[in-house]
This record gives sequence, structure tokens and C-alpha cells, in this order.
Amino acid sequence: MSLKNVFENWSTYRKGAEEGGYHTYEHRWTMAINLDLCIGCNACSTACYAENNLAVVGEKRFAKGQAMHWLRIERYWDEEGKDHPENGASFLPMMCQQCGSATCEPVCPVAATYHTPDGLNAQVYNRCIGSRYCSNNCPFRVRYFNFYSYYESAWPEPLNLQLNPDLTVRDKGVMEKCTFCVQRIRVAKDKAKMENRKLQDGEFVTACAQACPTSAIVFGDTLNPESKVGKLWKQHQVKRGVYKQTKEDPQLRGYRIFEELNVDPSVMYLERVRDTTI
Amino acid sequence: MVRWVNKHVAKFAGVAAPRALHHVSWIAAVALVWAVTSAVSFAQDIVPPVGTHQGEDVVQPIEFPHNIHVEVNKINCMYCHTYARRSKVAGIPPTSKCMGCHKIIATDKPRIQKLTEYWQKGESPKWKKVHDVPDYVHFTHERHLKKFVFDPDYPVENVKEICAVCHGQLKEMTVAKKVKPLNMGWCVSCHEKNGGPSDCWKCHK
Amino acid sequence: MIGKMKRRDFLKALGLGGTATLAGCDLPTTVTLEEGKEDVVSYLLPDEYVIPGIAVWYASTCTQCAAGCGIHGRVREGRVLKIEGNPEAPINAGKTCQMGQAGLQGHYNPDRITTPMVREGGKLVPTTWEKAQALLSEKVGAKASLNADRVAWFTGTLSGHQRALVSNHLDAIGSKQHFAHEVVNASVWQAVSRDMLDDPMPRIRLDKAKLILSFGADFLGTWVSPVHFAGQYAKFRTAADRGALIQVESKMSMTGGSADLWVAIRPGTEGALALGLANYLVANGVSAAALSAEVRDKIAAHDLQKVAATTGIATAQIERIGKALKSRNPSVVLAGASVEGQAQGYDAVAAIMLLNVLLGNIGTTIEPSGKFPFPQLEAKTGGTRDLLAFAQAVQQKQLDVVFVYGANPVYSAPAALKLDEQLNNVPFKVVLAQFPDETAMHADLVLPVSSYLEDWGTHVAAYQAEQSQIAVQQPLMQKLYGDTRGFGDVMVTLLAMRNAAQWGAFADNYAYMKNVFANMKTSVGQAALSADEFWNNSLQTGMVKVDAPVRKHTVKPVVPNVAASSTDAAYPFYLVPSPRMGLYDGRHANLPWLQESPDQIAKVVWDSWAEMHPSTAEKLGIAHGDVIKVESEHGALEVKAYLVKAIHPDAISIPLGQGHTEYGRYAKGRGVNPLKILKPITDTKTGELAMYATRVKVSKTGKQETIIRLGHSDTQHGRRLARTVSVDVLKRTKGA
Repeated sequence: MSLKNVFENWSTYRKGAEEGGYHTYEHRWTMAINLDLCIGCNACSTACYAENNLAVVGEKRFAKGQAMHWLRIERYWDEEGKDHPENGASFLPMMCQQCGSATCEPVCPVAATYHTPDGLNAQVYNRCIGSRYCSNNCPFRVRYFNFYSYYESAWPEPLNLQLNPDLTVRDKGVMEKCTFCVQRIRVAKDKAKMENRKLQDGEFVTACAQACPTSAIVFGDTLNPESKVGKLWKQHQVKRGVYKQTKEDPQLRGYRIFEELNVDPSVMYLERVRDTTI
Repeated sequence: MVRWVNKHVAKFAGVAAPRALHHVSWIAAVALVWAVTSAVSFAQDIVPPVGTHQGEDVVQPIEFPHNIHVEVNKINCMYCHTYARRSKVAGIPPTSKCMGCHKIIATDKPRIQKLTEYWQKGESPKWKKVHDVPDYVHFTHERHLKKFVFDPDYPVENVKEICAVCHGQLKEMTVAKKVKPLNMGWCVSCHEKNGGPSDCWKCHK
Repeated sequence: MIGKMKRRDFLKALGLGGTATLAGCDLPTTVTLEEGKEDVVSYLLPDEYVIPGIAVWYASTCTQCAAGCGIHGRVREGRVLKIEGNPEAPINAGKTCQMGQAGLQGHYNPDRITTPMVREGGKLVPTTWEKAQALLSEKVGAKASLNADRVAWFTGTLSGHQRALVSNHLDAIGSKQHFAHEVVNASVWQAVSRDMLDDPMPRIRLDKAKLILSFGADFLGTWVSPVHFAGQYAKFRTAADRGALIQVESKMSMTGGSADLWVAIRPGTEGALALGLANYLVANGVSAAALSAEVRDKIAAHDLQKVAATTGIATAQIERIGKALKSRNPSVVLAGASVEGQAQGYDAVAAIMLLNVLLGNIGTTIEPSGKFPFPQLEAKTGGTRDLLAFAQAVQQKQLDVVFVYGANPVYSAPAALKLDEQLNNVPFKVVLAQFPDETAMHADLVLPVSSYLEDWGTHVAAYQAEQSQIAVQQPLMQKLYGDTRGFGDVMVTLLAMRNAAQWGAFADNYAYMKNVFANMKTSVGQAALSADEFWNNSLQTGMVKVDAPVRKHTVKPVVPNVAASSTDAAYPFYLVPSPRMGLYDGRHANLPWLQESPDQIAKVVWDSWAEMHPSTAEKLGIAHGDVIKVESEHGALEVKAYLVKAIHPDAISIPLGQGHTEYGRYAKGRGVNPLKILKPITDTKTGELAMYATRVKVSKTGKQETIIRLGHSDTQHGRRLARTVSVDVLKRTKGA
């Protein structure tokens, strides 16, 4: 890295994390999930199964923790010491956070997982050799390994006719995870390119965002000034590229999970609200 | 410089450069320039992908003669393979497209009669796929046509030269034969040189 | 084949010989990239909009429950791959629930019945439609000697032209016996609304409310129209003045999980609590002048001490709820299945509706519905009263011929009714089924029907959104199996058997529907369009908008005779058989996505469990995972105990959905069916089965099993992953 190089490319290197740092991002796919609207119904999770050719593993493998749910809804009880959970349950939709500084990317021995120019954490099934180092490193535990050739049993005819041809059915030995429906992103970008225009916000969304009955999941491109998700991140003053947000107003309910690990997640959650004044 | 050209013309032609011919190497230089410009008769500077493939002779239900349709009748590739400009797949034409002409044309020929039999039975011929990429590859015809044909205003009547880059010279074949390897390295060689995307996730589904 | 190809014929042309050989490039016979190995079958004569590689979207209607949400199906190369909500559908506005998403797995299910079956020598054997039709003609055709009232139809909730066809068939036979059955229903709520408001299904406006008090109404999961209410709920929560939800129930439902205040109530005492709250409100300034003296007396009799003793809820807590009701306006008070399903269920729901009257909610958050202008298309909503009536008719040998469609009574009937045995009293049972369910396996003749993604139909949901509509269902692809028939097709055939003059003109249901639509357009204000235009518009939008004149609510409060709580020394616990959005009433147990989708509250997959409060478990010496015997007067179940605080200590909750003895590889032989051990008591006023009134006792079996669930931690261990902020903190903003 010569001094000359630094001076010549100063403007690129000087970009803040908001603008993508030294990456030149075309898009920055991001999500905002409002936990006050999430009712824990699982529509998103099942929509993800339908869209992404996820294998149903059955109860024995589920018990071993080998389920393939890219998007899972976790349910927590928050209150200690009471007879009943008076404030209901906490539902948390958890999927790959497409971290800006992903912990899974540097540890892949064959670089099967890397950061795309769209801000996504890509998983290339062909390159993956199944070391599982990436899933070991993921603090969110959102990487799922194909311990078996699920295609042999998960889609008895004619269930296989439902498979989405826009993405592969993964074989044994390959790691997989939420892709923010990259197949939809790809198709939408192709369409926009063919029509010589930019992508509009809301032109397409991920399967989970599309299904959610309360519209708790908002998906879009934060580099698009019109995007709903960009406006939400701005409104809640959640910044990228930092491991601790500096806002103080409690009205700003946006936060990121495990941000303190400096992974720069692309998913912002809005705190669930409970009316304890009743 | 001439010796350099000599050596490289020879490489291009696949033969060893005879030293004795160096006095005619200016001809070789001209030949090289001609070869390069004629092989790439595109309007702009497209560097084609590197590599060929010795394809099998695939037996199709009807031995469709591309040579007659392309060379003799001068039918545009996109007349039959309509979907190329608007979809991922170029598409095998629907039987109705064949019958559009062959209800009337050459109805005495055996291959046409076989085709008409299919049509009247309400079946389409079960063609065998010749050009295929693995299921995990996302390849869009429409983007490639846009880049090499429509955006540079390449004359549509010559589109067969663009198609030939990947599909070979169909005017010399009856049924299609795979003459390019269609493997990743081959695709990447074109992408690298012509400014195509290099992001894995652009093509790997 | 040459010439103008209609869309329907195009769908036929996509497949060769009626089997699932699909044109286009994406379904090869082998999967390889080698040259010359994969087949590529081109189209024959495709419509212009068909481009291989590009998806086409068609509108239709979901039939996974009775809510009638509008859907869009993504179709690639002639097969439907994904279901999304129809953004223009008034009911669901572009959203779907997980049952809607899983509809694909019903359509492509490997265990579908693919040929007609007839009972020979005690067993069901495959047969042909010719033979089946001959048998039907013999039994119920024009020449059959029938005793009209001894012929019956037993269906699920039926609406639209499917209902019209069944009604027509019964008319053609001269019978009035149409039993409509749903396990998950709001029949008692509908009865109370009809009696108290003159409106059988008033519109609920959660989006206008500031407070929702729900007595066990799982409006986000299984009550009435969950996707619709979820959309309203989002507005309710995101309003500048955020609405609050109080859920009072004996076992936490999915909706209860989102409550700001969740209150555990002793099962069957919700009516008492409602009157106690009315008592509080009247004592604190809410006027009861509009109510009759009798009603006011009832309210006065339910002082807080008495109610606290009955319900097990402290007076302070009751006051807390009362205060919220008084201060947050407008509110809405709802009553769900667990309130309805009691011996005094009607009265309990009436007491709850009374709260709405007192609080002035009628006309604000409970709005009059539109009167649907076509009564023959209106929903015949199922309940459990018809199941009981049917079981009685069967037992008393009152039926000779029974047609079953869209219902599985052998599965859902309590064992006490002995329905499976008693059905032998019916000499000719015809079951129209997609899957080999318990009822189909009892049939004398099984007719395989097409799935909703391959069939034509119309639906009129019982709960209509602001814009009333007839929801249109069209095939999203050619049918998968040559030998299944659309329900409407079977009906047209049956009708032609009785009345060839009138019905013989229709080749099939498609012809009938086109005719119906051509005649309908004037009555829906579309006379200006040609028949083709109207038909195409309806298919493209997935609906026919209808003007339904708004009713007028006349408030006639009913005197609620709510029950006192009872004790039962022999059977100390209350069984709560809870349906969930997922397996529902058991109909979706054959869909692997829904089996693998964890229960929203318990997070258990692929199994049954019995929820009990840890304090109860401790008293009984039961640990998490112990297999316990849950026994009522009418049977016993062995099921794993699941300890959770989200349940009343006197309740044992076993989810509905499992315990199938047939129904295919994903459902059969898995878990237990709590419906079986229900006591066949009914609500005194409506005759509906009091599903939540069964008492049980619990004993240990000594066995222990693993409960398979998603996630192994119930707490976040202080890690603030799913964070909560309280409303008072939110209101405190720094500076400004």
C-alpha cells in the first residue's frame, strides 16, 4: 500500500461506514424489524421455506439441532419471579444479519463466503467444502449446515414440483443461510437494467417481508434516499460501522443485536413496547 | 516486431513458426490484422471467451437443419428463439412456430411430415438439451443480448454472429452441437475482458 | 389445436396426456449438464404472455381456513411455486399467514387420493369414475328411490357457488339436511351478535381502538379472520397514541403473547369477570340507564369480591382492568372460543358483549356489517352443533345417504359419540376428499377432488372487510392428477343425474361458472361490460366487488345467566383443547412445513404436549417431559407434560392437530387428539359443543420423553436480544 495509492484514492478511503467505507456499494440491502408488531405467527418463517427450497428435516433431526429454518422466531419469557408472564412473550425473528464486518467471512478456508457489492454476506454453495468454521463463528447462530442430502427425502414426489428454480437445492456438506432472497434481488436488478432504470423502493421485497401480516419486517436499500427502511434507520438514529449507538432519546427504539461485537449487522430491530401503566 | 507478429500469428494458427518464412512475415502481419478484425466483426471491441469444446452428435427426435434455416432461408435466430431478448432462456420454439411455415412449406419432406404428426397428435417433440449450464448457475440471455446487441445498436439481422460466440456457427450444423465448453472459466474469460460482473452471487444461485 | 386457444385449453395443452409432463425447460427428466441427456419439451401453442423463465401471477382465493383471503400464485412453466397475498384483496391486503403459505404442500402432497375408491369386501379399492358415477346414479340418480330427508350433506363452512350447488342438489333430492361443521368457529359470538345487535358478524375495528380487551379471542391466530385483524392490529399499535391489549384467558394463545397485560383466568369464569367489570364501570360513573332492570340486577349481583373468588383473579387486578376500560377510549371487548365453549357459553359471551354496549363501542369499534345481497352465496358457517346433530341422526339410523366434503367428522367427533362405529348405520357414505383422512377411510365411495390451486370456485367469507366481495378462485395450474375432479365438477355431475334438463347443459363446473358470471354482472353493477370483460376482470382481480347495504344495529342486551364456577373432586383440572394457527383443527397435520413450524408459544414441533403451570406440576410431582395420563370421563390420553407459566394453574392445555389415525405419512400416528376425550356437553342456548368444559384428572405414567422444540432457553439470560421498552419510558423524552 504505497503513499501514492493512499493519496490517489483518498476520497474512497475517506468514506464513512454509512457510505460503505472502502467498499463501493451499489446497494445496501437492509432490514428493519418492529418487535412491537411481531406477533410471532411464523408466516415469515414458512414463507421462507416456500421461497428458498428449505428442507423439512423431521423430528429426529430437529431434536439434534439440524433444522434448516433460515428464519426462526425465538420466544422468550422476560419476567422473573411472577406467577404468570403478565407482559406476554417476546418474539424475536432471527435470520442472517448480513453483517458489514461479518465474523463468518474471514474464517472460511476457501472463501466461499464473502461480502458482495450489495452489502450482503454471500454463501457460494459450490465453493463450500463444509468445514463449518463459519457457523462456529457466527454469534447469531444463523448458519445451517446440510448434514444430510435432504433432497433424497424432503421432497417426495410431487412435492419436488414446488421447488423454486431460481435457486439451488443444496446437497450434503454445504453451508446455507438467509440470503435476503438474493434470487429476487437478482431478478429485480436484471429487470431494472433491462429497462434502463434504477430500482424503486418496494419494487420487490424478501419473502418474509411480503408475508408478514402486520408488516413488521421492512426491507430495502439504505443507499436509496426514498427507501422506507433507510428512513427508519435515520429516524431511529442507528448508524452503521459503530459498535455502540450514541443516542439517548428513549423514543428511538432502534437497536442492533450483538452490535458490541463490532459485526455491523444490517438488521435493525425496534424495541417491543409494553404498556405497564395499565 | 515482425518476428513477434510472426510468432504470434503462428500461435494463432496453431503451427510452429518456420524461421525460413520470416521474409514474408509482413504478409503474416497483415494476415494477423485481417484475422483479428474479421473474426470479431462486432461493432465494438468485444473480446470473445477463450476455449472450444468437442461436442457430441446429439440425436434429436427430428434432425432439425439449422443450416437450411439460417444459411439458405436467412431466418433470424430470434425469430424462433424469441425469448432470448426478454428472458433467461432463449427457448426452444413452440411447435406452433414451426407449423406457422410448415403448414404450407415443404410439406412433402419426411422431417416436416414427422413434425406435422406431432402437431396433429397435440404433442411437442421431446428435444434433447444441448447447451446447458448447471442448475446452480443463473445465466440470462436477455442481459447478454442487451449488452452486445441492443445497447450498441448492433444490426439485428447479424445477430447470429453474437449467438455464434457461445453457440458456434449454427449455419454449418443441422442439429445444434455444443462447440464451446460453457464452463465457468470460459464464461469468466469473457466477463473479465468485457466488463461483465465478477461477483460470485451474480451467477451462482 | 390450431386457432384461437382459450386460456383453459392452454392449460390443458401444457401437459401431455393429462399427466404432469410440463412444458418448458425447468423440469427435466434427469438433472445433468451433459449434452443430450435432459429433455426440453417446447410448448405447443402458448399464450402470448407465457415466456419461459418469467413467472406469471394469477389471482385466486385461499381455502386453508374459512377467512377467504385473496392470494396471488407465482406460476413458472405451468406450475405454481409460491403463494403471496393479493394486495387488492380487502380481507388480507397482500398478506398471508403460514397456513396460506403451506397451501402448496397440500396441493403437491404425496399422499393425495388420485383415483376414486369403492368399498368392496370391507376394504377400499381403486375404481374408475365410470363405475363411481354408475354407483352414484344407482343410489342418488333420477331413478333412485330415495327417502328425501334421509339424504344429507356434511360439509365444512361452505359459501359462494359451492354452497349454491350443494343447496341445489339437496333441493333436487328434496332434502333439507345440510350439516355444516367447523371445530374452530365463532358460532356463539355470531349468535349473541345476532340476538343483541341484529348483526350476525359485526365488523370489528381494532385499528380505531385504544384498548382491546380480549377474553380468549385469538384474533391474530385463529379467531374469525386473523390476517385481516393482524393488519388492523398493526395500525392499532403504530398509532400516535399506541393502543394497549389486555388478554384474559386460561392458556396463553398466540395473541396473548403480544398482550400488554396477560391475565390468567379460571376456565369457564369469563362471564363472571365480564359482569364484575360491568359492576366496576357502573360503580365508577358509566351509565347503565339504557339497560333493563334485569340486566342491571345481574351486574349489581357481581361485586368484585364475589368475582374474585369465582375467577381466581385478585380484586386489585379486576379494578386495574376496569380502570383501563374506563380511561381508554374507544375500546373493544372480544370473546373467543374458550368463552364460547362452556355450558353457559352464550351467556358468558353476552356478558362480554354487554361491556361493549356499556362502553359505547357499538357503532365505534363494533360496526355494522353489510347485508350481503345474494343470500344463496352467503357462508353457511360451520359449528359443532351440526356435528352433534349429525351424530345423533346417524345413531338413530335416520340417514341412508351421506355426502361429506371439507370436513373430517370421524377425526373431530368426541369418542363419546362413537361416530366411527355409528357411521356403519349409514348404508351409503360418499366422501369427496383430497387426502385419505379418517372420514374418507370410513366411506363406501371416495371421490378424489382437486386441490384449491387446481379448481374453480367462489367464496363469500362470513367476515367481510369494508368492501364486500365475492372472492374468486381459479386454477393456478393444470391439475396434477388426471383422475381428480373439481368439487364443482362433481356437483354438476350429481345435479345432472337428478335433473338432466336443467343441469345437463353444463359440461362441467367451468361452464357453469361462466354462465353464472354472465348472469351475475348486471346484479353487481357491471352491466356495461361484456360477459368476457366481466369474467376476465374478475379473474384478474380475484374478486367481484359487491355493494352490501350497511345494516343498522339495534342494541338488545341479553340477560346473561353466567355460571358459577364448579369444583369436581374426581376431575380437578380443566382441559383446554387449544387450536393454533398452524395445524389448526387437525386439517393441516399432513403439511410438513406446518409440522416443522414451531408452536408459537410452546415452540414444540411434530408432536403433542400438555401444558401445565409449574406450581401445579410441583404439587403433582411432575417434571418437564414426564409422560402423563390426562383422563376425562370419556377417555384418556398419554402425553408429555410441558411446564410453562403461561397457563392457569387449574388448566391443562393440549393442542389440537395431532392424533391422526390416518391422513398420510406426515400426520398418521403422531401425538394425541384432545377432541377425543371431550365430554359431549353443549352450550344450553346454542347447542354448540362446549369444547372447553371437559374436566380431567392427571396421573404419572413413570415414562419420560424428550420434548422436541425450537430453542432450549426460555429466558434471554439478561442478554437484551429481544428488548422491551415500557410505554412510560417512551413518553419520557429528553429535552424537547
